[in-house]
Amino acid sequence: MSEETCAVYSRDVTSLPNLVNQIISRRFDLVAQPVTVWSLQRLVRYAIDNDIPMVPRGHGTSGWGGAIPSRGGICVSLTRMTKIIKVDEYESFVTVESGITWRDLLMFLERMGTTLPVYPSSAAAATVGGFIASGGIGIGSARYGDIRTQVLGIEAVLANGKLVRVGNLILDTETDVFGEEANIGTKWFLDQIRDQVVEGTSDHLQVLMATYGTICMITKVTLRTIPKLQMLPFACSFDSIGNLVQATKQITIETKPYHVRYMADNYTSKLDSLDNLDSEHGKYILSGALHDTVYRNEENHAIIEKATKNAGGIVLDDDRAEFHWSERLFPLRIKRKGPSLVPAEMLIPVDQLPKMLEETEQKLRGSNIAIEGTLGAEGDASCLIWILDDERKKISYTLGWYRSFEINSLARKHGGRTYAVGLWNTRQALEFYGKAGFQRLLRLKKRVDPKDLLNPMKVFGGRIEAAWQSLTLGFVGGFMVALFISTFGPRLLGLTWVIDLMSMNLYQIIPIPTFIIVSFMGGVLGYLVIKQMSLSWALNIGIPFLKLISKILRK
Amino acid sequence: MNTLELEGQLDELYVCASCGNCTLVCPVYRQLKWESYGPRGKLRILRTIGEGDAEFNDNFAWKVFLCSLCEHCAAVCTTGISLTRFWEAARAESLQRGFQPSPAEYINDSIKTHGDIFAMGPKARLIWIEDLEEEVKSRVNKPAEVAYFLGCNVSLKPHLHDVAHSFVKIMEYAGVDYTVLGDKELCCGAPLIWAGDLTGATSLGEKIYDTMCELGIKKIIFSCPSCINAFITRYPKELTEAFEEKFELLTTTQFIDQLNKENLLEFDEQTMITVTYHDSCISARKLGIIEEPRDIISRIPGVYKIEMLPSREETRCCGAHGLLNVVEPQLSSQIAAMRLRDVSVTPATKLLVDCPRCLNAFELASHSMGYRVEIEDIVQFVAKSLKPKDSGGISS
Repeated sequence: MSEETCAVYSRDVTSLPNLVNQIISRRFDLVAQPVTVWSLQRLVRYAIDNDIPMVPRGHGTSGWGGAIPSRGGICVSLTRMTKIIKVDEYESFVTVESGITWRDLLMFLERMGTTLPVYPSSAAAATVGGFIASGGIGIGSARYGDIRTQVLGIEAVLANGKLVRVGNLILDTETDVFGEEANIGTKWFLDQIRDQVVEGTSDHLQVLMATYGTICMITKVTLRTIPKLQMLPFACSFDSIGNLVQATKQITIETKPYHVRYMADNYTSKLDSLDNLDSEHGKYILSGALHDTVYRNEENHAIIEKATKNAGGIVLDDDRAEFHWSERLFPLRIKRKGPSLVPAEMLIPVDQLPKMLEETEQKLRGSNIAIEGTLGAEGDASCLIWILDDERKKISYTLGWYRSFEINSLARKHGGRTYAVGLWNTRQALEFYGKAGFQRLLRLKKRVDPKDLLNPMKVFGGRIEAAWQSLTLGFVGGFMVALFISTFGPRLLGLTWVIDLMSMNLYQIIPIPTFIIVSFMGGVLGYLVIKQMSLSWALNIGIPFLKLISKILRK
Repeated sequence: MNTLELEGQLDELYVCASCGNCTLVCPVYRQLKWESYGPRGKLRILRTIGEGDAEFNDNFAWKVFLCSLCEHCAAVCTTGISLTRFWEAARAESLQRGFQPSPAEYINDSIKTHGDIFAMGPKARLIWIEDLEEEVKSRVNKPAEVAYFLGCNVSLKPHLHDVAHSFVKIMEYAGVDYTVLGDKELCCGAPLIWAGDLTGATSLGEKIYDTMCELGIKKIIFSCPSCINAFITRYPKELTEAFEEKFELLTTTQFIDQLNKENLLEFDEQTMITVTYHDSCISARKLGIIEEPRDIISRIPGVYKIEMLPSREETRCCGAHGLLNVVEPQLSSQIAAMRLRDVSVTPATKLLVDCPRCLNAFELASHSMGYRVEIEDIVQFVAKSLKPKDSGGISS
């Protein structure tokens, strides 16, 4: 396996500054593509026997670090597992292997007159398993909610290699050869979580989702489907976020739209396609689609027009509505203006959007930002802040990386939370899952993956993979601190007995002054501190440090 | 990477959004399933090469040539990178560094020595006319309003000669004043560009331009979408503009559509035949020729047209473009077979195409798949469907 192939699989959507290679490994050692559950299980058992970390991966279309290497090891690319196993448009479900892309699945279902209630904006490339493993809202969430509510059943290979089937996973019993093994594995799994889940709920299903492949690798999913009715796009333009939110609230209550997306003025002003359109360029755009019968859509469209006009907005014509609907799958168009994008994403109540946007712009004053988001069904909305930068300017890009972490506190302030955990937001995992939920996951993780081999450092944090430069810096730092404490410190404090002690040669055979030995031990201690440092500590120290340097240099 | 820098592509490496859209539409990736063969993977490798962390070696050069240049990645690119120009520049870089694969080298030499991609020489371009009537033979290299530019595939591959015969039949039927260049026809030069020689096509284009001017041509009709694309986009700006100013450039499909609109063609009722149409990648994504073939098919009575999926701008490549069929013929054939599967789920008994490369690729793939479907160029289908005239017409 060539290094370049491993390097290709070692990235996700976000361009990370080189500095991160001081705390996570740069690339995978190997990429494996299992084609069956059986081959995946064998791979897992091999990795466990040889203490090799594994990271499950779809097409790497998220930016939260869930699919990138942290401690090297094997990239388990599930993209060859793409079969459509069972579909029933009357019972409204489809069972697929997790490596199929949302787009391929949508195209297949459309031929049968059905579609999916929720899919991600990265549908062209994102895999079914990947979006479920990270959770979140997408296209269709305005009506149908989070992706997790669309999942009826899951089959997964746990971190210990056991096969489990949870929820209502619907398979073709004639061709299913893993039934017995799955029964054994599932029984074991349910025993492990019996004390942690509420009977009769979907808790046992929930523990396998939105955990970024740290508990299991999803192999099959049964998803809900819905009939394909008329999809009627709409789009409106406003002069302020306040007006947009006012119209949005009325529209979502009265029309129950399928999809609602908003784009702030700093986003629309960066879209080349809107350059000559005064009613859209630099405006706040609300776009989306109604999904209903032709008659209901007509009625609802009239409500949208009224709500928009009441809020002082303009309803855009059908062509523009169609355009914005087709653009729902291309949120990264603005990247050309960077050419790099540093993301930060939150989930906040819709009515907090105006304050959130205002405070974000203040906090990131001096940065080139673009904000857009999608509505969920619980009165919440994602707020995706793109910070445009240029990774070719290595120093300023590195220093500016702290901005991606700045927004978390704002989300909390406005009753929201971080949108995703992955690798970079492990410090917010407690908040994301709730205390009880996080503890439950942690207990399960320790039971299924005691060696922490499956997607290490994601969600739960853990020891960093310090690069030699960091370790060297740790040693040098520890050495210098100990040297100071053993020499200059006592001088400054006038502790002559310490000075004398440090000057002695403690061992007659080795003529090395004590202060050198003490400094060396300090260096070793510094080395060990870095070696054992957790991701949380690294970020707690590193992010403020970057911010400080950035402010000093006014970068 | 000098060539990439010269072509102004180096900055584009950082514009890539890593969204993966390009990878999932790439026919090579869909077949091989390794990211390093897809567009996103190759861009990432190029970046590490550009940053000095990897080498531009023969392994990577091979990956660059494992591409059909079907333009699908460019069509779906979120940030609008001209990905096809990228791959062409990367091929030029490969050539400069001595990593050009030998099949591409063969094509290069063949065109420069013989003026065609099969090393057959100019006289071989007269073979397709041999069995035609004297009236047609007398049109070779004569001043006329319309010049029929066959391209290397149609003029030199015997099993594709019928495409040329069919189009001549159509022109005779419509009373078009046409000529064919015969042994004066040269390769358009597109394969040279695909082989990494970005400027080699210019001299060929200039010679063709001079020939057309000498014959007083007003319209040039192309059997091959890649040929017309070379004339419109791949020659230097001055030459392209000269062609645009002096001549109307059309594909056979566009020309037949024109003849239809002028009511110069009449069709016989066909016996309840179901056809589907495959959009060639260059026609659909570069030339925008999407409705014309559909309009042509709709004009022929008794023909039921079914749309295969995906189609139009989202059409899937046949695998035979961009030299992929010579660099890695097995992969090319697998890609064609993948596309034929899209036909197999329709009730069509006939597949129509507008590109000789597609025609060739599908014919080969259908043999290896054992999949029985009649495959024809749309020109052949139109010619067979013409209502016989009381007088005139040709036989071959």
